[in-house]
Amino acid sequence: MSDKTLSIQVQEHEAERASNSYLMSLIAVIAGLPLPIVNLIASFIFYIGNRKSSYFVRWHCTQALLSQFSLLFINSFGFWWTISILFGSEHISNRYIAYMFSALIFNLIEFIATIYTAIQVRKGEHISWWLYGDITNLICKA
Amino acid sequence: MMKKIILQLSLSIAIFFGLWWGLNKINWMDLMHVNAATSKTEQKIGDLIWEYYENAEHEIKDDSTQAVIDSLASRICYSNQIKKDKIKIHLIQSDVVNAFALPNHHLVLNSSLIEACKNEGELCGVISHEIAHMELDHVMKALIKEIGLSVLISISTGNRGSEQIKKAIKLLTSSAYDRTLEKEADIKAVDYLIKAEINTNDFADFLSRLSNENESLNMTWISTHPESKDRAKYIKEYATGKQTANTPILEKSTWENFKHRIKNLSHQSL
Repeated sequence: MSDKTLSIQVQEHEAERASNSYLMSLIAVIAGLPLPIVNLIASFIFYIGNRKSSYFVRWHCTQALLSQFSLLFINSFGFWWTISILFGSEHISNRYIAYMFSALIFNLIEFIATIYTAIQVRKGEHISWWLYGDITNLICKA
Repeated sequence: MMKKIILQLSLSIAIFFGLWWGLNKINWMDLMHVNAATSKTEQKIGDLIWEYYENAEHEIKDDSTQAVIDSLASRICYSNQIKKDKIKIHLIQSDVVNAFALPNHHLVLNSSLIEACKNEGELCGVISHEIAHMELDHVMKALIKEIGLSVLISISTGNRGSEQIKKAIKLLTSSAYDRTLEKEADIKAVDYLIKAEINTNDFADFLSRLSNENESLNMTWISTHPESKDRAKYIKEYATGKQTANTPILEKSTWENFKHRIKNLSHQSL
């Protein structure tokens, strides 16, 4: 994650909207547990709603949306694995517990990073994430 | 830019799998007492099911017949490093030819099944097959698959009524296992028999013979176990060249007396 200064001047309402895109994904994570798809849908709706906003808002909405994808895969796999243990033929194994801990660690990292980014973006700072920042740069043109 | 993204993506995936691999090295099952909790659940469910079944059926409690069954089971267990003490064998008076395993190592043998056996090898084949289901953890697997872990846990904590227990009994006494699990248990049973120096052909012949008699007798054990003739065939094929010794467990007269006593006890009970 890195702080970068954009050459454009960020307005107060833009910073608020951009910051909200991260908060949106956080609230949706809490509301949508244990279904991992809910936060992605929420971020997508927010992204669609801000497609025609300024570059700063669009850029952060895109990064917030993209950042949901890795967790979507990790959490979906964990979710269906748990379901198959509870209602299917799978057993609790060392592999399963290790996977759930790995998923928990990744979720925590993302959770903390999202809160930090939401706070910094609200201040008008441009926060670019590892990997997602570069993908966002490819998708989001000024 | 694209190269950088691919590199970062690969690295992220590698970090996740590396973390998973690393955490997998820790023995969480012991650390979190998962195995102990699972076996405690199995124990509770097994005893609850057996208690319910025992009340509904008539168990034959006869020391001399129990001693014969125990000596057959002991040979199988000791030759295969299976703890005999954990297996609780019950003889049930019933005109249905059936044998099945319940959770917590309860092995149920119906008197009609013993009557249908021509020699000790045939009975040992059936006992080995049911022990294989226990040792391969098929009993709990089948229950979890058909009833669900959440329901089983609530049964073990006493929150589910007799309906779920009835469902579990119905499942375990009939078509609990699919073809793959049955084959796995058959092959394991053959391994047990070979190590115990018991003739595997008797087991195959039992399946083959009973599948022919299926329509004239109440053969639950055969009708719920798919394609007995096929099973007899692959058992014989698998055992070919593996059987090195064949040592009888009982005297011929002991076996005859045992069968005679079972017959008498069954009719007395009826």
